[in-house]
Formats: sequence, structure tokens, C-alpha cells
Amino acid sequence: MLNVLTTLFPAEEFTLLALVLGMPLLGAIVNGLFGQRLGKQAVKTMALSAMGIAFLGAALTFLVLDREASHHPGHHVKLSWQAWQWMHASGTRDTTIPIELKFSVDALSGVMMLVITGVGFLIHLYASAYMEKDPAYWRFFAYLNLFVFSMLVLVLGDNLPVLFVGWEGVGLCSYLLIGFWYQHAPNAQAGKKAFIANRVGDFGLLVAMFLLVQYTGALDWNGIEAGSGSLVNQADQMQVHLWPIGGGQFQGFLSFLQPKNPLMITGATAVGLMLFLGCTGKSAQIPLYVWLPDAMAGPTPVSALIHAATMVTAGIYLVCRLSFVFVLSPFTMAVIACTGAATALFAATIALVQNDLKKVLAYSTVSQLGYMFLGVGVGAFTAGFFHVLTHAFFKACLFLGAGSVIHAMHARIHDDVKSQDMRYMGGLRKYMPYTFWTFGAATLAIIGFPLTSGFFSKDEILFKAFVNHPVNAAAAHMPAKAAAQLWQQPTWLGPVVWGMGLAAAVLTAFYMSRAFIMTFFGEFKGWTIGKAPAGAHDHHQDAHAHGDDDGDHHHEEDLKTPGPAPHESPWQMTVPLMVLATLSLAGGFLNPGLFASFFKDGKPPMEHWLEPVFEEAEKAIQVLPNAEAAHHKEYPLTFAAFAAFAVGSFVAYQFYIAKKGAPAKDMAEKAPGLYKLLLDKWRVDELYDAVIWNGTDALADTAVSVDQSFIDAIIARLTALVVAALGTVLRVFQNGVVHVYAGAMALGIVVIGWFVVVPRADVVVSHSASNADYVLDAAPGMGYGYRWTPEAGGKPQDEKFSPASTQLKLHLDADKTQVVKLEVQNAFGLTATKEITVKGPVTEKPEKPEKLGQVDLPSVNVGKN
Amino acid sequence: MAAVETPPPAQKSSPYSVLVVGAMLLVLASASYIVVPDFLAKILGRLGGLLPLLVPALVVGAIPKNRSWGVRLTMGIIAAALALFVQRMWPGATTAEVDPADVPEESHTILSWLIGLPFLGAIAVLFLPRQAPRTLKAFTLGVMIVSLLASIPLLRVTMGRDFHFVQDVVWIERFGIHYKVALDGISLWLVMLTVFIMPIAAYVSFGSVDKRIKDWCFSLLVLQGAMIGALVAMDLFLFYVFWELMLIPMYVMIGVWGGANRIKAAIKFFLYTMAGSMLMLVAIFYLAYTYSRASGGELSFDYFELQRLVLPHHVQMWLWAAFALSFFIKVPMFPLHTWLPDAHTEAPTAGSIILAAVMLKMGTYGYLRFCMGLFPEACGWSSASLGGVAVLGGIIYGALCAWKQDDVKRLVAYSSVAHLGYVMLGIFAATPSSLEGSVLQMVNHGISTGALFLLVGAIYDRRHTRMLDEFGGLAKVMPVYATLFIIVAMSSVGLPGTNGFVGEFMIITGTFVSNRLGHVNGIQAVGAAIGVVLAALYMLTAVQKMFFGKLTNPENKKLKDLNSREIIAVLPLIGMIFIIGLFPSIFLEPISGAVARVHDDYSNRIEQNPPPKFYEGPIKLQARRPEAPKKAQAPADPAPAPETAPAAEGH
Repeated sequence: MLNVLTTLFPAEEFTLLALVLGMPLLGAIVNGLFGQRLGKQAVKTMALSAMGIAFLGAALTFLVLDREASHHPGHHVKLSWQAWQWMHASGTRDTTIPIELKFSVDALSGVMMLVITGVGFLIHLYASAYMEKDPAYWRFFAYLNLFVFSMLVLVLGDNLPVLFVGWEGVGLCSYLLIGFWYQHAPNAQAGKKAFIANRVGDFGLLVAMFLLVQYTGALDWNGIEAGSGSLVNQADQMQVHLWPIGGGQFQGFLSFLQPKNPLMITGATAVGLMLFLGCTGKSAQIPLYVWLPDAMAGPTPVSALIHAATMVTAGIYLVCRLSFVFVLSPFTMAVIACTGAATALFAATIALVQNDLKKVLAYSTVSQLGYMFLGVGVGAFTAGFFHVLTHAFFKACLFLGAGSVIHAMHARIHDDVKSQDMRYMGGLRKYMPYTFWTFGAATLAIIGFPLTSGFFSKDEILFKAFVNHPVNAAAAHMPAKAAAQLWQQPTWLGPVVWGMGLAAAVLTAFYMSRAFIMTFFGEFKGWTIGKAPAGAHDHHQDAHAHGDDDGDHHHEEDLKTPGPAPHESPWQMTVPLMVLATLSLAGGFLNPGLFASFFKDGKPPMEHWLEPVFEEAEKAIQVLPNAEAAHHKEYPLTFAAFAAFAVGSFVAYQFYIAKKGAPAKDMAEKAPGLYKLLLDKWRVDELYDAVIWNGTDALADTAVSVDQSFIDAIIARLTALVVAALGTVLRVFQNGVVHVYAGAMALGIVVIGWFVVVPRADVVVSHSASNADYVLDAAPGMGYGYRWTPEAGGKPQDEKFSPASTQLKLHLDADKTQVVKLEVQNAFGLTATKEITVKGPVTEKPEKPEKLGQVDLPSVNVGKN
Repeated sequence: MAAVETPPPAQKSSPYSVLVVGAMLLVLASASYIVVPDFLAKILGRLGGLLPLLVPALVVGAIPKNRSWGVRLTMGIIAAALALFVQRMWPGATTAEVDPADVPEESHTILSWLIGLPFLGAIAVLFLPRQAPRTLKAFTLGVMIVSLLASIPLLRVTMGRDFHFVQDVVWIERFGIHYKVALDGISLWLVMLTVFIMPIAAYVSFGSVDKRIKDWCFSLLVLQGAMIGALVAMDLFLFYVFWELMLIPMYVMIGVWGGANRIKAAIKFFLYTMAGSMLMLVAIFYLAYTYSRASGGELSFDYFELQRLVLPHHVQMWLWAAFALSFFIKVPMFPLHTWLPDAHTEAPTAGSIILAAVMLKMGTYGYLRFCMGLFPEACGWSSASLGGVAVLGGIIYGALCAWKQDDVKRLVAYSSVAHLGYVMLGIFAATPSSLEGSVLQMVNHGISTGALFLLVGAIYDRRHTRMLDEFGGLAKVMPVYATLFIIVAMSSVGLPGTNGFVGEFMIITGTFVSNRLGHVNGIQAVGAAIGVVLAALYMLTAVQKMFFGKLTNPENKKLKDLNSREIIAVLPLIGMIFIIGLFPSIFLEPISGAVARVHDDYSNRIEQNPPPKFYEGPIKLQARRPEAPKKAQAPADPAPAPETAPAAEGH
């Protein structure tokens, strides 16, 4: 079977990718265009079959890839398919860089592809029941399929622009899906916020692309890798000049701005930081994480698929994909690791006190994404990427479980905020056993219960953070003196980020246990359970009918009246939960770093699989102090991670089960300021509003007022005013009074008469180029007679003024000067005098104009032709 | 993209079974592919041929049942035409089949037909009865569609670096004025854009213009002729004639069919443009006079002849300034842009569409063709500073102003300032990629902004207001409208996959590697990239205010969704958004040759006389380029002498 596949789909023309990509797109088009008329059943069939076929295609692709990889061990095997030539760009020195619409799959994108289609299918299945009552069912699945398509484009794209298509595409779908219930203004607002925060990141990605074009002259993965050498060029002109911008010079009064040493960074650092800015946008890291918690306004399957399992991990995928670029700059790596660690810790603190179940999970996602960046930032690419995989399992499971809970709560609590509030839940263990067990499994995974998937992946990241040390690989090829100038990461950085990660692990264990306990243990607090009195309305009628008219489902039920117990969800929702829960528990064995020695070559399957992808990048990663010593640290460090889990979850148990939440209340009362600050998410949103938003707002207001009251005022209104003023002045003279006109006429006659009566003398000197002869021409005038005095002070040529002698010819030797006097007498007998100095030819060589090979003008033959 | 809140129809079995059958067919096809690989390839090959049938079938199928068959047919035809266009224009699609010997000789009159048809139509309109508006409308539309069809031969020529379809007739012999028209890759798509957008604008306007139909039709046709003329004129005098002629119908359109402040806006528009073009006229005369001095007494307004002039720097600067001012006003570039929001706001919908889609392009096109062609050193001297103006004053300032507008039309007008900032930046950067991107972006802007104005016009016709605060929640009552608006907005924002991205991407990459912008090319490219963020800001704000949230305003509750006329008008634009976005090489290939020519000329001239030591010698004439179209003879001269290029050429 595989033989058939490999002959059908050669590695260079792997059209199977078209099927994987095409099915979700087909689903989106069919559902988008015809969905409304097809009915729910058909929409569901279309969406699910599209995802199913795509998953099968992805699985086949994966098998082929595996086979190819086993045939070429150690090689970076790639299957690619080019759709068509898309466009082109020009590089430095006007080279042309073709940009193809090309897709390729290798070990890295293969795993991503499986996750997207696999988890995607499960979530589609889940959503087919979850969204059952929504009138815009077709629209939901059209968007969801479009999202999967965009995500596949993102991971399968063979160059940055194609990746960018997917990158923006998922952003668009996320925008549309967050604002799916667009009639609620906050939802649309959250969608817009997400799109714009993402766009800020996309700006970074765009700039990174331009830098790559300039430095490497390529945008496809192979080309970038081949040309990446110039990124670390230390020559002045090859660096990115930050100040003065672009490498200019401040001159004149601005020279105080000129620094002694221009501020420069290497191309690698610039590209890395800009790419990472893109990642912070998409993957919700500090400083652009603020959109993700708000994005929970979307339907819960969307939160699971887009805002937990797939889209938000695109940033980590990008770092892994271009790992060979990132490792060229230890500075960028340090920034990534620190940002990741800081985000992990920061988001975890916020999650401690949130009461909204989805918000807890959202901040937990931000925190887990921080872990992933911490992993890739310290050069543990496999570990970081493995966490993407395990996180996709357990976080999707958690979100879907939360959705299942909300689905049940929504039966009677119709308010969106309240139905997600954990303070109304509790005791659901009894009513929703499947949800309880699967949610529990996923919770164990995320808090790092030994041998679950989260345990292995998080443990590996923390271990690597402690021992790894990315170095500047360029140093090896440089003279020792120059190499000493290069920036290297301090050795304490690893332990510091490890410490932050460990602290975040403690907090994670606490807040996830808290959420789990508050939701499933204790007493149910939503409403009184009992037999519903007659006449209570049937909750199935309007559950989840968010899109319906005028929000009339917002009438609050009296929750004191007894109602039916919360119900377990239908099979379409529980089956995905069970699959994902299983994967959350067992998935860790794909890459158990702790048990590496049990595997062939000492490498667990995942590491073995991804080895060719990261081979190049990992050369730049040193292990401190050495591989042997680092290996010995593994067990103590694992124990530390275990301790973090144990402490966090034990405290949560003490707080919320043993003491029923009393200690938490006490603490909140003791430090109300801190509690409030955490509850308000450190008020970062408010800070952004005050600084960035208001700043831009003020800038725009200034622009508008400048436009109206300055530019338009000067160019249009002032001009008009000047013209009008002139008209007003001139109008005074056109007043129709005859003697004013007569006076003006008299004045005019006097002026003209004066002009005629007074003589003026003027001379034009022309000289012929061939010799030193000069001709002086006197300006003509009415009734003028002329008298020349060739040498001033001497005798005039002629005593009389003669009308005929308008010219004087003169010969001057080189470097001589002569002063000539001209007298003019007019018919009224008045005279005027003018003296001019005539200079002889200069002996210096005349400066010839540069000849350009063209003919000078006198000799050009421009005839008719 | 928006919900229709009608209760979902009861489950139907028929479409479901169709889907099942479809899925089975798919499985069968995949199976057969595995067994006989060639089979599916063959089928797919056949399907490729059927594409012009399949696409319209899909489109017709997508139209809801309540539309008439006439609408379906029209849309089917439009879709088929677009599909056929993509198929035939696909790079390499035709070259394999065509035998070079079979290539028909280029028509030398086709450009004159394209200019003349609308003028003839306009004259004919004068003789049609004022009382028969339907006849007038049909006739006008007919003329425009015939023009569109007549332009098809333009697409069948491999453009390359040269000018095509040259027609050169001596017009006023004494002053060396010719009627000379020619087309190259740069003007090709602008001419196509004109003939493409005019019927759309006219068609949509027939739904809303209700007074003085005859005058309206006359204006439209004169405008079309003048615009095409200005785009293909290769004689500066002729160009000027068309340039000014273009102004009058637009002035009338704003002044007669415009909004409340139409007179003020029309006068402002007229005076601004006129102030620039007067200076340009003087410069044109001076240029012709200088040419006569250099060539021994023969006046000429011929672009190719004038291009041979090498002027000393200070002379060039003045002439360049006169031309550039005129073009910058038209673009419009900061700070000469304030006429645009007024003109757009007051103009009728069709006027706004044409103004944005074509007339603004005259500025960018003019700068690219005339300023860069005639005064390269002066352009090179100024491009770094002007690039800064384009980024700060155009892209960023325009976007910020757009964000703060309450009136949708003003918002779109300011977004035009931002978009044309990109185009101008690309022209100033003058790398092949940025120039191609600029030309493409001119077309893109025409399509996206044209579509935006069309859609804004649709809501204006319904509500007679364009204030954003008056709307909100429209997605509920006008789902089709909302969907189309969001698609167009995304194209305007530059989402990859739509046309906006390709142009912006090429421009910004080109800017980044440009060496014509001094050391600020990097920061200018970064500034342009910031514009991408701001574009999202203002567009999404507008979208959100119009379509999302609760439908609170009672006046909006009963709004009707787009009617057939509006959908038919906007469909081709939507189609083009995706066609350019996905297959830009169709458009880039004809452009690239001409751009390479412009770029080489420009770079050569600048590198010969690099700043700061500009050329300051006497006026001279360069050798005539071999590929320049030959000059027409005065009819009196029977036997043209063989062209004698000046001897000294090599350098």
C-alpha cells in the first residue's frame, strides 16, 4: 500500500497535500455558500466528512513521510507540492526572488498536520452537538472549516509568505469566530481586539520577511537556511543600524544626536526579534497576550480548537521552523526564554483567582504557551514542540470539558457570564461522570501528575532550561579577539528561567486543582435540584440560541425554583472528551525524556523523529557544565518538578476540599489590594488603554484637527482669503465715480511721461569665442544718441551724440580689463551715463562639461527622419 | 459572514443525498486515481477546459431562489467571463499553442477606437430623447460594454518592454503636435481597469441617479473617453488636452448630482486640479521650446523625443516641480489632499467610484510615466524626502485621519490617501518589485476602493446618511451586504489571498532593498508596514460600528438587503479581488517588461549623473532609442529618410 502511495505521490510532486488542504476549503465553500439551504444535517455531514478525509490524508502523508525518513536516516525528508507561481519580490541588486504557492511537509509540519486535522475532527464532532441549537449553524461550520484550512496552510507553507497567508487567515477566522455572536457588542469588540493585537504581531513578521529578503535573498525554508550566513555578518554595513536610523549621520545643529558608536544589531538578531514579535501576537505572549482571555467570548469549541490547541501554537511552530535562524542570535534566544518564563509565571498568577472557568483555562493557556517559548528559547526545540502536542491534547480536553459543563449549566442559567462562573457550579461529579473523569484526566496532565503527558513534556522543558546554554555560533569562526566582543548569554540565565518556570508549575498545580475542585466537588450551587414545577419552560428550546432575536433568552429564571439536575452531554460531546483524555494521559510516552535510555539510540520516538529538523539548530546549544554532569542532574530536577506539582495540588486540596475554601477567603480579605489586582488581571488592559490606545487616539485626533484647521486652512482657505482680499482692495478703484477714474488716468499719464522723458543707458556685452573680440551693444531708445568712451577717464570716441553708433567693438588681450563708458542723450536733451568693466579672456583652462558620450547640442543632427 | 436569522429550513433530504452522492463520487475518483493514475489527471485536464462553465454553474447555484433568472444569467456570464479571463491569461497558457507566424499584426487604430467609442457614444446621446431614460441608460451601458469587449485584443499581445498599438498622426504640424497614442505594460492594466470599472459605475448609478439622465450619460461617456486618452497619450500636448478634458465631466458630476455641499466641493476639486495643471502646461511648453533649441528649431511634444533631452539640474528641478505638483495634487499627496475627502463625500456614488478607481491613478501614473521618464535626476534627488512624505503624510497620517471619521465615505476617502501613499512610496523606491507592486496596487486600489464606494453608496441610497453612529447591527438585516462589505474591507486591509496584500507586499519588500531612498529605506519600509496595522484599525472599527452589536436604530430595522442591480455590479469586483490575490502573476507578467524598461532608464540616468554632483552642462539630446516608436511624418513628406541615429552613442 505504501509502495503504491510513494509511486503515486513522488516527494517533489506530493499532490496528496492538495487533498488534505482542499477538503476543509471545500467544506468551507459549500457550507458558506449553500449551508443555509442545505439544512443542519447536510452541513454537519459536509463539515465532518471534510475533516475526516483531511485527517485520513494527513495520516497517509504521515506514513509516507515515516517511510521516506526510515529510508534516508538522518536526512531532513520533505514532501512538497507546488500549486503555482504566486508572485515575486526583488532582492538587493535587483535580483528576483520567486515566491511560489508551495506546500511541503516534513517531520515537524507532519506532526502539526496530524494534530490539526485529528484534534480538529474531534472538535468538529463535538461542535456538531454543542452548536445544535444555533440558527447560524452553517456559518459556524463554514468558519471552522475555513480555519482548519488556514491553519493547514500555515503549517504546510514552504515559504514565509505562504505561511503568512495562513497566519493572517487563522487571524481572520479567529476574528470571525470570536465575534460569532456578533449581536453582543463585547464579542465583536473582543474579535476586533484579537485581530488588531495579531496585526501588531504580523507587522513584526512582515518586517522579518523584508529583512530576510535583504539578507538571505530567499523566503523559502531551504533558501533561508542556505543564505543564513549573511545574517551573522559582523561588518558594519551588514548590520542593522538602529541609531542613527539606517546608518546616516546627524549634521549641523542635530549633531548632538550623533552617538559615539552607532547602535547596531546583527541581521540575525533583528530578524529573530521581529519574528518573535509576530509570535507574541499569535501565541499570546507578553506584551500582546491581552487578546486571548477576551477571545473566550467565542463559542467554546472555538476556544478549544483555535485558542488552545492549534492557532495559538503557531508562534512556537514558527520558532521551531526557523530554529536555525533564531539560534544565530543568543540575544534573541534569551529574549524568547525570558518572555516565555515571565508569561508563564505572570499568567499563572492571574489564573489563581479567576472565577470564570473559561478565563482560568484561558490564562492557563497563556501560561502554558509561555512554557513552550521557555523551552524553545533555551534551545530545547523538541521539548518545546512536544509540549505543543501534549498541550493540544489536554487543553482541548479541558476546554471541551468546560464546554460540556457550560452546556449543562446553560440549561437553566442563561446568562453567559454566570453560566461559566465556577461559584455556581460544584458537585457536578455526580451528574456528569464522563465529563468529570475526562476533565480530571486532563487536569492531572496539566498539573504534571507523574507519567501523564504534561509531566513528561513540562519536566523536559524545565530540565533543559536549567542545563541548556545557547551560544553564539559565529564565535567559532572568528579570531578570538573579535569573538570576545560578541554578546553571550550569562550562565545564570538558565537557572533563573528554570526557577520562574518551577514557580509557575506550583501555581499551575494550584489553580487547576482549584478549578477542578470548585467545578466538580462539593455541593451544586447553581439551582435547587428537584422536580420542576409545572409550567417551567423547557430548557432545550433555547439553550445556546445566542444568535437569536433581541436576546429575549436573557430573561432570568428564578433559580430558587427546583429544576432538573444538570445533565450529561450527548455522545458527540463525550466521545471526543474520552479520546482526548486518553491521549492526555498516555501521550507522554511519545517522548519520555526520563526514560530515554530504554529506547534505541537513547532517543525517545519524538526526539528521534524530529532530530533531522533541529539538527542544525542544536549545534549552537551547549549543555552546561557538560553532557555527563547535566545527565546526572536529570533526576533531581525531575524531583523538583514533581515537588512543584505536589505542593500546588496539596495546597489546593487543603484550601478547597479540606477547609471548603475558607483559607482562600481569608487571604483575599487579608490582602484585598493584591486580590483585587489579581482579579483585575494586574490591570494591564487598563494600562494599555491608557497608554497605547489613548496615545494612538490622541495622535489620530491631532491628525484630524491638523488636517482641518491647519492644512486645509492654509492651502485652501488662506489662498482663497488672499485672493478675496486682493479683490476687495481692487474693488475700491472700480467704484464708478468718474473723477476717481480721471485722477487715475492723470496719474498714469504722469508715470508714462516720466518714463519717456528720462533716458536710461544700458549695455550688453557679447564676445565671440574664437578670439578676444568683444562687441558692446547699447540698449535702444526713442530718439537716443550715443557717445562711447572706450577707456573711462580718457577721451570719448566722438564729441557728438550719434544715433548710429549703437555698437562698440573692442579687442582685449588675455587677463586685461577695461572700463567703458557710455553716454546717452535723448530728444529732450537729457543725458544718462553708464560705466561697465569688460574683462579679457581668462588664461585658465576652461572647465569642460563632462562628456557623457552624447553629442553636444550644436552637432546633433535632428532632421526629419 | 453574517447570520440570517430566518429559522433554518426543515431538514431536506434532497441536498443531503446530493452530498452523499458527491462524497461517493469523490471516493470513487480517489480510488480510480490510485488504480489508474492517469485517469484522474485526464479528467482534471478536461475539467480545466470546463472551468468557464463550472464556475458560473457554481455561482448560479449559489444565488438564492428568490432572484430571477435574468439575474442568474447575468451573474453566470460575469463569472464565466472572469473564469475565461484567468484561463486565457494564465502565464504560459497560450504561448505553447500559438505559432509566432500566426500572431496577428497589431492594430494601430484600436486605441483610437477605445478613445473614440465613448466620444461617439456621447455625441449620439445628444440626439437621443431626454424623455426615454431607459433607452439612454441602455445605450450608455451598451457603449461601455462594447468598449470593454473592444479592449480584449489589448490582452492578446505579449507586452514585453515595448510600446504597442502605436498610432501617430500629425495634428498641428506647425507646432510639432501629434496625435500619438501607444500602450505599454504600465498603461495596459490602467486602461483595462477603466473600461472594466466604467460599466460597473454606470450600471450602479442608474439605480440611484434620477435627474438629468441624459446629461449624466453624456458626462460618463466623455469622462471615459478622456480618461483612456490620458492613459495612452504619448504626446504631451495631447496628454494635456485629455488631462483637462477629464476634469470637466467630473466637475459637472459632483456639481449637479452631488450631495448637499456639492458646489463647494466641486469648485474646490476644480481649482486644486487646475492650479497644478496650469503649471504643468507651462512646463510642457518650456520643454517643447527647449527641445526645439536643442534639435535645431523643430518643436516637438512627443514623449519619446522629449525623453532624449538631458537638462541641467536647475532647469530640470523647475520643470519637475511643475509636473510633480500637478500629479501630487491628483494623487493626492499630503499636504495637497484636502480636496479629496470633500470631493468624495459630495460626489454621487458613481462619481466616487470613478474618481477613486481611475482619476486618482492619473497622478501616480503621470508621475511614473512623465516625471520619472523626463526628469529622472530630479526624481532621484527628491525621492528620499518624498518617500518620507508618502509614509508619514500618506500611509500613517491618512490612516489615522481615516480612523477618526464619522462619515463612511470620508473614511474611505482618507483610506485612499493611505493606499496611494503605498503606491507613491513604491514609485519613489524605484526597484523592479516596488514599481510592479505600485502598478498593481493602482489597479488593486481601483477595485477595492471602487467596491467600497459602491457598497457605501448602497447604504446611502437606503438611509440617506453615511454617519457611522446611525448604523450598528446591520449584519442582521443585511447579511449579504455585510458579507460583501467585510470581504472588500479585508481586501482593503491587505489580507493575504486578496489583492491588497500582493501589492503592498511587493511595494514594501521593494522599498526595503531600494538604494534610491538614501539610508532611510529601511525605516520607510517599517513605517509602511505600520500602516498595515493602522489599516486594520480603521477598517475593523468601521465594520464593527456598521454591522455588529445590537440593531438599535429603529430606522435600520426594515432595511432591505442588496438588490440584484447592486449585487451584479459588485460581483465582478469581488471576483477580481480574489483573482488578483491568488493569481497575481497574470497581472505582473505584462507589467514586468515595461517596468524593467522604466527602471533601467531611470537607474542609468541617475548613475550617470549621481547626486550630489548633478549634471549642470548645456542642454543635450541623447540618441534616440531603437525601440521607441517612430515619429510620424508630416503628410507632405512622401519618402521618409531612413532613421539616422546620432553617431556618438557608446559610453
